[in-house]
Amino acid sequence: MAPPAQSHRSPSPSQPSGKGEVSDLKTQLRQLAGSRAPGTDDTKRDLFKKVISYMTIGIDVSSVFSEMVMCSATSDIVLKKMCYLYVGNYAKHNPDLALLTINFLQRDCKDEDPMIRGLALRSLCSLGVANLVEYLVGPLGNGLKDGNSYVRMVAAVGVLKLYHLSASTCLDADFPPLLKQLMLKDKDAQVVANCLTSLQEIWSLEASTSEEAARERETLLSKPVVYYFLNRMKEFSEWAQCIVLELVSKYVPMDTEEIFDIMNLLEDRLHHANGAVVLATIKVFLHMTLSMTDVHQQVYERIKAPLLTLVSSGSPEQSYAVLSHLHLLVMRAPYIFSSDYKHFYCQYNEPFYVKKLKLEMLTAVANESNTYEIVTELCEYVANVDIPMARESIRAVGKIALQQYDVNAIVDRLLQFLEMEKEHVTAETLVLVKDLLRKYPQWSHDCIAVVGNISSKNVQEPKAKAALIWMLGEYAQDMQDSPYILEGLVENWDEEDSAEVRLHLLTAVVKCFLRRAPETQKALGDALAAGVTDFHQDVHDRAFLYYRLLKYDVSVAERIVNPPKQAVSVFADTQSSEMKDRIFDEFNSLSVVYQKAQFLQPSYMFTDKEHRGPFAFSEELGNLSIGTEPSDAAVAAQRVEANDKDLLLGTSEKEEGHGYGSNGSAYSAPSYNASTTAGASQAHFDLVSIDQPSTVHPPVSFAIDDLLGLGMPSAPSSVPSTLQLNAKASIDANAFQQKWRQQPISLSQETSIDPRGVAGMMNPQALPQHMQGHSINCIASGGQAPKFKFFFFAQKEDGSSAYLVECIINSSSCKVQLKIKADEQATSQAFSELFQSALSKFGSA
Amino acid sequence: MLQCIFLLSDSGEVLLEKQLTGHRVDRAICDWLWDQILTQGESLKLVPVIASPTHYLFQVVREGITFLACTQVEMPPLMAIEFLCRVADVLSNYLDGLNEDVIKDNFVIVYELLDEMIDNGFPLTTEPNILREMLAPPNIVSKVLSIVTGSTSNVSNTLPGATASCVPWRKTDLKHATNEVYVDLVEEMDATINRDGNLVKCEIYGEVQVNSNLSGLPDLTLSFANPSIFNDVSFHPCVRLRPWEANQILSFVPPDGQFTLMSYRVMKLKSTPIYSIDNIAVQFRLPPCVASSDLSSNYGAVNVLVDKTCSWTIGRMPKDKAPSMSGTLVLETGMERLHVFPTFQVGFRIMGVALSGLKIDKLDLKNPLSRPHKGFRALTRGGEFQVRS
Repeated sequence: MAPPAQSHRSPSPSQPSGKGEVSDLKTQLRQLAGSRAPGTDDTKRDLFKKVISYMTIGIDVSSVFSEMVMCSATSDIVLKKMCYLYVGNYAKHNPDLALLTINFLQRDCKDEDPMIRGLALRSLCSLGVANLVEYLVGPLGNGLKDGNSYVRMVAAVGVLKLYHLSASTCLDADFPPLLKQLMLKDKDAQVVANCLTSLQEIWSLEASTSEEAARERETLLSKPVVYYFLNRMKEFSEWAQCIVLELVSKYVPMDTEEIFDIMNLLEDRLHHANGAVVLATIKVFLHMTLSMTDVHQQVYERIKAPLLTLVSSGSPEQSYAVLSHLHLLVMRAPYIFSSDYKHFYCQYNEPFYVKKLKLEMLTAVANESNTYEIVTELCEYVANVDIPMARESIRAVGKIALQQYDVNAIVDRLLQFLEMEKEHVTAETLVLVKDLLRKYPQWSHDCIAVVGNISSKNVQEPKAKAALIWMLGEYAQDMQDSPYILEGLVENWDEEDSAEVRLHLLTAVVKCFLRRAPETQKALGDALAAGVTDFHQDVHDRAFLYYRLLKYDVSVAERIVNPPKQAVSVFADTQSSEMKDRIFDEFNSLSVVYQKAQFLQPSYMFTDKEHRGPFAFSEELGNLSIGTEPSDAAVAAQRVEANDKDLLLGTSEKEEGHGYGSNGSAYSAPSYNASTTAGASQAHFDLVSIDQPSTVHPPVSFAIDDLLGLGMPSAPSSVPSTLQLNAKASIDANAFQQKWRQQPISLSQETSIDPRGVAGMMNPQALPQHMQGHSINCIASGGQAPKFKFFFFAQKEDGSSAYLVECIINSSSCKVQLKIKADEQATSQAFSELFQSALSKFGSA
Repeated sequence: MLQCIFLLSDSGEVLLEKQLTGHRVDRAICDWLWDQILTQGESLKLVPVIASPTHYLFQVVREGITFLACTQVEMPPLMAIEFLCRVADVLSNYLDGLNEDVIKDNFVIVYELLDEMIDNGFPLTTEPNILREMLAPPNIVSKVLSIVTGSTSNVSNTLPGATASCVPWRKTDLKHATNEVYVDLVEEMDATINRDGNLVKCEIYGEVQVNSNLSGLPDLTLSFANPSIFNDVSFHPCVRLRPWEANQILSFVPPDGQFTLMSYRVMKLKSTPIYSIDNIAVQFRLPPCVASSDLSSNYGAVNVLVDKTCSWTIGRMPKDKAPSMSGTLVLETGMERLHVFPTFQVGFRIMGVALSGLKIDKLDLKNPLSRPHKGFRALTRGGEFQVRS
């Protein structure tokens, strides 16, 4: 597995410091410096090679700098290249010596061979010595006007290098306008592309301080410029095409006709053999059609085949990167891919992370017509040797069961898993059967029969044990041995390390007691006794609670612990849709790929737009890295600060987003997220129904969860009542539209609407009027049964934050999709609750 | 965009370092990566994008050489990965294969190539034909030439004319003594077959590979007898897309030498007559609970390795009997029956047949200076061909 610690190859010349060799080289080079004897170049070549090879293996050969420069007088281009390479490597740290090289580089910039001119200019610009910039201006100016496109191409990038060394020198020399001229006129497409990359970066960095630069940056996205690039598209190299396509994806067309024109023009790019070009094209298509629902869907259909081809054509690395993008699209629009499910079947020898992506896609695309085949395939993986894969596959089967209407066959399969007698399979399956029973209580009979046969001794994993115990309590009547099994478990209380299991055990024993008191009495007494002395606070508290409840009134206890249960209809998703939206915003960016790999969360994550694209390349990024020397603090300080803030915001938002996923939604069931103890919060939920017998108010139940400090570790508590809306808020449609475009989605949720409310949808004005009563104004509405779309606007009482809402109501499924944008992101959750509560009253009043 | 490229040996040694921008990337990043590989296992080498504490890393591993690129800014991931793949292809093409020694011996040319392929972190050209015009590969011919003529430079004196021509992938004045063009259909069959012998999934991925040695600026058209079978296609940049969209004809000015003109996917297979299947090999892994095994076959050789990988080499299918393998497996004590069953991976080769049924109709040369020699071949290989048990 592990590679050999050190190569068994012949010892490299590197060992240990090579000092002796370096000083030898120094002497030899010095002797050659002035020599014009025939064959000198060959000797030089050997010596230069040695120097470079030392440099390559990491030996410091900076001490021969002056000798290298002295030997640089040669017409041999390979020697020149080696010399340039050497100089480029050491100049930055030896600025005094670098001055020595200026002379010969400038001379080479005037060589008659365009290749030498180009190479010299490239090296000159790559020296990276700030106080030598004055020497760059002349050669760069000449380079931009050179008759040979190779030199112009080098010069165009050189300007950017100069800009990074000294922005003022670059601007004072008026290079950006020159670049712009070249960009719009040059015959050579590569020169044009290089001008574009340089200008994009320069103007974006300048835009914060100079209005003119900001304007110029806008011009790059203007119709004439974008069309100019589009029309020359085929001249560009594949890499330049990627850069141009990235530019086009930021362009906002005037109308739909323009969108279609652009898409038609670019359509053939989808057949390109280079995956980078294809993905960049797809990004353009997706961005342009984002607000055109029908066309957007057609785009999905259109890009499906090229993506699938890329997955099967490339190397494993390319495949995986494309697959990650495909995954993103599948998760967003699974129904479009439902007939392609076979593409997501796992190959035996694929790495686990690829299989995992595929499993998620298989789960997502499962629908009535393909479920049987998908589940059959998943069952193959369950029997697989690979344990993590088997577990993931069982979870996938469970998820499919939870999202389907007809689960008959799936339940059978799950129960077969229990008969496989493999510990990991049993454990994983138990957890799922529990979730399944909560959604489909009608299956309890079949499930309990099988579950009853499982010996609790064969179940060791806490999650599985907790699930089994939950079932023992919940179905105490149906499981003959339930009280005795529980009793056995209580006897081993002290050996049970998991607090989660002990919590479940307490609840189960009480539930069992309420149904089969005589048989459970002993177990109950033992459990409560053990519980109140438990060192774990939650276990301790819960034991006391039960103890006092039972003492106070058994019938009250009954109502609290064992109320009639409603089947859970929807489980909170583990990944919030907001997160998905956000990532979708970043299609064709790194986060799509590494998010799946999940190794480390980098501290330099660029989640917000300002940090994306080539613009982000500035000194302050260096500050975030380890081992990079500090930049000119004075100039950069301000930007660094701003940056840090943004970065912080980026991460904290992310966490919040996650919190919402597991906590803030209005689903009436706790998530089965790993961090939540499902059974525990279920019990609390039951408690609430006593407190407020008349209305079920989900947000409050979570507030209680927080009070109890159980289950919801990091979720931000939200207090809905503090948010007051301005009853007189108003905004005109245009302003709304603009605001909607500018702001990121701060919250995106799915909820459901009272069927009585749906009946009210027959009158298009009913919902807007109803919401107005809650200080939420409808700006626009549309659609027809079963899909209605509304845009709402509301404002905080003190005017500090406006809320924009896109609300899509499906009248046949009673599902509601909400997208909320807010000035104050922090209050968007509270607003969402307010909104949903208003919505839930629709039709019932 | 990309800030640095490293080439690492299979023991993690830095073979080459090419800084691309003023933002120097310290070599320590390579040590970090290697530590991760040592702690997390070799499979990390297969992850193309890794977020290290300081940089995003891209890696592509070819023949034991890790091509590693670093950046700190957001960029299209495929751009970096595709680029590294091209670098690997170009180097392997230039150096006649890839390994540690070849790179160490030719590090100067590797530097020179990288210099032309990427500037300031933005890929420039990766087209082998253009690069060959700028830098002659270090082959024997040029070595001999250098000895004979005394010229030691591998750099051509002219800049590529192609950059200025309308077909950037080809130089304008090519001359070949043998005027010939070969077209190969190379297909891979991916299939999964379940234990009842039913096909769970099947797909053909194919490439049209062309080897062109034509003089001048040849303009070719290639048409298929049954283009309707394609589920999807992608093309080399030289293919003109209009004629394809209108009439499913491939019209193109080819690059010189070997290249992939087109790749395609076919999902529905017609029955194609197969005469001989060759190079048949079956590989599988015995379940971990198998303590020992004794397997033999009536045809071909069976080989069981220590890690319980078992390979059965059949070669050409015999005419007189159906090859079969049999034997006994001893399970570990306490096991009564086998809980997991192996998946058999089958490799094979079928010469002369494109299993998709794709047929080339004709290949025409529009502006023939002389009639070229044309050749066509087809080949199908087993790709991910697996049989479950």
